[in-house]
Amino acid sequence: MEALRHTTAITRRAAVGVLGAAGLGFAVLGPRPRKDAPGGRVVLDYWEKWTGQEGRAMQRLVDRYNASQDRVFVRYFAMAGIGQKALIAIAGGDPPDIIGLWNFNIPAYAEAGALVALDELAAEFGIRREDYAAAVWPLLTHRDRLWGVVSTCGTVALYYNRAMFREAGLDPDRPPRTIDEFDEYNRRLTVVEGGSGGEGRRLARVGFIHTEPGWWSWLWGYFFGGTLYDGARDRATAASAENVAGYRWVQSYAERYGADALISFQSGLGVYGSAQNAFILGKVAMVNQGPWLVNTIVQYKPGMEYAVAPFPVEAGVYDAQRPIGLLDSDVLVIPRGTRHPREAMAFIAFTQRRENIEQLSREHCKNSPLAASSPEFLSSHPNPFVHVHDAIAQSPRAFVFPRTRTWPEYEKEFNAGMQRMWRLQEPAAGALERIQDRAQAQLDDAALRRTRRAELRGERA
Amino acid sequence: MARAGRSPARRRRVPPSLVGLAWVSPWLVGFLAFFAVPMALSLYYSLTDYPLLEPPIYVGAQNYRDMLHDGVFRLVLVNTLIYAAFSVPLGTVVALVIAGLLNQRVRGVSLFRAAVFVPTLVPIVASAMVWMWLFNGELGLINQFLIHVVGTTHPPNWLGDKAWALPALVVMSLWVVGQPVVIYLAALQDVPVQLYEAAALDGMGPARRFWHVALPTISPVVLFNVVILTITCWQVFAVPFIMTEGGPDRATYFYTHYLYDNAFLYQKMGYASALAWVQLLIILVLTGVMFLVSRKLVHQRSA
Amino acid sequence: MSRQPHNSGFMGGPGRQLRRALVYTTLIAISLVYAAPLLWMLSTSARPADQTMLIPPRLLADPTSRMPEYAQENYSSVWHDPVVNFPLYLRNTLVVSGLAVAGCVISSSIVAYGFARIRWRGRGALFALVLSTMMIPFPVVMAPLYVLFSRIGWVGTFRPLWVPFWFGNAFSIFLLRQFFLTLPKELDEAARIDGCSHWGTFWRIILPLSRPALAVVVLLHFTYMWNDFLAPLIFLTHRDQFTLALGLHLYQSQAGNTPWNLLMAASTMVIAPVLLLFVLTQRTFVQGVAAEGLKE
Repeated sequence: MEALRHTTAITRRAAVGVLGAAGLGFAVLGPRPRKDAPGGRVVLDYWEKWTGQEGRAMQRLVDRYNASQDRVFVRYFAMAGIGQKALIAIAGGDPPDIIGLWNFNIPAYAEAGALVALDELAAEFGIRREDYAAAVWPLLTHRDRLWGVVSTCGTVALYYNRAMFREAGLDPDRPPRTIDEFDEYNRRLTVVEGGSGGEGRRLARVGFIHTEPGWWSWLWGYFFGGTLYDGARDRATAASAENVAGYRWVQSYAERYGADALISFQSGLGVYGSAQNAFILGKVAMVNQGPWLVNTIVQYKPGMEYAVAPFPVEAGVYDAQRPIGLLDSDVLVIPRGTRHPREAMAFIAFTQRRENIEQLSREHCKNSPLAASSPEFLSSHPNPFVHVHDAIAQSPRAFVFPRTRTWPEYEKEFNAGMQRMWRLQEPAAGALERIQDRAQAQLDDAALRRTRRAELRGERA
Repeated sequence: MARAGRSPARRRRVPPSLVGLAWVSPWLVGFLAFFAVPMALSLYYSLTDYPLLEPPIYVGAQNYRDMLHDGVFRLVLVNTLIYAAFSVPLGTVVALVIAGLLNQRVRGVSLFRAAVFVPTLVPIVASAMVWMWLFNGELGLINQFLIHVVGTTHPPNWLGDKAWALPALVVMSLWVVGQPVVIYLAALQDVPVQLYEAAALDGMGPARRFWHVALPTISPVVLFNVVILTITCWQVFAVPFIMTEGGPDRATYFYTHYLYDNAFLYQKMGYASALAWVQLLIILVLTGVMFLVSRKLVHQRSA
Repeated sequence: MSRQPHNSGFMGGPGRQLRRALVYTTLIAISLVYAAPLLWMLSTSARPADQTMLIPPRLLADPTSRMPEYAQENYSSVWHDPVVNFPLYLRNTLVVSGLAVAGCVISSSIVAYGFARIRWRGRGALFALVLSTMMIPFPVVMAPLYVLFSRIGWVGTFRPLWVPFWFGNAFSIFLLRQFFLTLPKELDEAARIDGCSHWGTFWRIILPLSRPALAVVVLLHFTYMWNDFLAPLIFLTHRDQFTLALGLHLYQSQAGNTPWNLLMAASTMVIAPVLLLFVLTQRTFVQGVAAEGLKE
């Protein structure tokens, strides 16, 4: 017994030794970083947030660039948590050369001095404001300087289920245009089981709910003519009359469905990118979504009958020629501290050529950021309704996120407020008032910091 | 330092405190470079507006004043306290129960102990991934269990539900109690056998013996580990960072995560440093209170 | 197990047997609950993608005989992932952990010798300071350390992760000091008579006797380095430098939350080495952890 224990102890010790030796051997002889750049070329590191299908599309564009010339080699890399990670790398003095950020990162990054201003470089490489849809350029600028170039963009519109429209006796070729019409459509599309108003009330399906998928809880006031931020006066305007009207309208849906019924209905909805997507399953007849929704439809329910129209607006602001819709975009920026800003810009300019940007947009299933899309782009796009998104992008009333560095915090306040409003825990006016106060405090704080910086610079000068 | 003691004659001339200092000097240097200086810097930064890429500007106690009006600060404080208030006592109870069971002269202790201990070795990123899979609202093992074995019709969408995300993280924290279990087991095994025998002669059953004899004896160890566990709770970062990103709707947004966001996302190094100092103060106060309370308890017991 | 039973048989007979059965059942149930997540992880990692979606779930793949094949497929697809370079990250982790552990053992044992085997004024106060640094969580010094390291150009290198450990680590110092204190004082005197300096005593006598304690330090520190996430997250900026923990996080963000079989295979790969080490050194491990928690 004792001898056996002794042997196992020795075997164990030997095994640990082998393990240690293997570890040491792997550490010393193991793989080294891949040198996938052909010798003699300038290597640019390009960080993106896209993975999967979107990442592969961008990788193909990068490959085309690498093949198109022999001076520069771009290495594409999808970084996790890019918003923070990029800043850490820039502040640490070891940044990549090109970063694909979200548009709302630009003000904060620009004010932090983390980016190279691109006005001259962009002009030199032939990137001009007039080539882009009206809403795009303001996205890229902050305090009168250009900080980025758009890589892809998408506008958000109303997707509706044609089959469900027909079933409910609605004309699938005549989508709702105003909020009043929309409410009427919604009433007819919603199916309640188990009596009206009683305890056993259960929502079998609904026409529309504002929280599916709930990506932009802050945009509903825009369809009533509201905005959230007045850049000229640096004021948060969440509690404006238009926004209050908008969120009263949002709450009217929660009231109509009933809080309990709504909670149990929502808990049964699946995640966006799956076969359980509420719109694809026919649990929700209408959603406010970007052109990329078609990717999910094609993947999980190819035969689905749907159509797209600009989201309805309050009757007083309706204008068929000038639809209202959110334009969301991804941007390419050059971080401060890169050793190759010109090479980086050359690559960015390559992505901006019409054929490249349209192909990338097509592969991402998004509309194009350019001022005028080519006919081939519209006709060969996987989304048959891309022209609707395109029209919104060209509309003077396309809107973008509130362009302030405090927007990420502002948005978080808004999401929290939206939860309270949607659960009818607080009337819209009060909730918006609170959001506005908090957002204003954040804006004031940011302004104070800016002034302090400016004074410091003044003293030094 | 090797030369300092080579010949007995020379050694006599070197005062012993210098010799001692020489031996601990690596730590002293490290302490200065990686603790003292950073802490001092952090104290200074906490009095500045410091956006990471630009030089700091002195603003006095502004960052601390801002904290008073910062709703998110209050929120992460409350979240962290709630998390600690559940996971520390629950974790301690679970660990004590398991240690108590393992102390029952069972065969194969090492096997049982290994089963409980192994989770503590799993890298947090990996355990976060595994638990995301277990908590998955549609296909997760936990909900499948609830549906098919318990018979729940609408199991919660754990990490996606504002009300359930934090409880989910507490449940997960109970999975990594291996360290306290091992420690308590070792402490229990040091309890003198005579104490048990005397209690048994008094007619106490095993549960009462555990409660009245074993627990008081190992209470200092328990206290120490409660303190450690509490400090760990204030550092919770990777799990919510990976599993929920602080959501949904900030329901799992914790103190260290907010500190990280302030430093590296909002570029407010000054505010982040102030948060760090407040965190340190809170930990010191909590630790102090726990030791005071325990001293009282121990006195009462012995009286 | 040769120890005196703690609850020796004052309650003989069937009652006692029943109780023992109860204890065993509870322990087995608890062990199963604790093992379940990792077993489920293993099981998921050896199934094809479409079999992760089964309702109700199954523990084994269908057909079960093909599980090794599925496993091989999943693991090799993770290992050869074109973006997340796991082999490289394994090497990085080994390099960083190796350097940190080596430094930690060497410096901590020197410092511990100074605290345990040399009498000098101020030793107690300084040792209290060592203990108190254990109370300071990393997040408290994270921001200023980042600033410091970025000033000297260390952000984006491995150095912030291992250099600090060459200056001693409070817990290891504590552990080794406690062990050194248990060694008889006569050893030093005998050594001194033989003409040994402090260094000679330390190197030729104390260290060789302290192998068990050193092993504990190595093990605990190695697993700490292996698992660390926050420090690599802040200090490693280049994808070629990632450690396994970061790599796994990256892999998850790359893959999204759907290919659970691949995610579980990746997790298993990251966990396996530490687990193997634990299986081989369980006793040392447990002793170390117990020593950590019993300190006063």
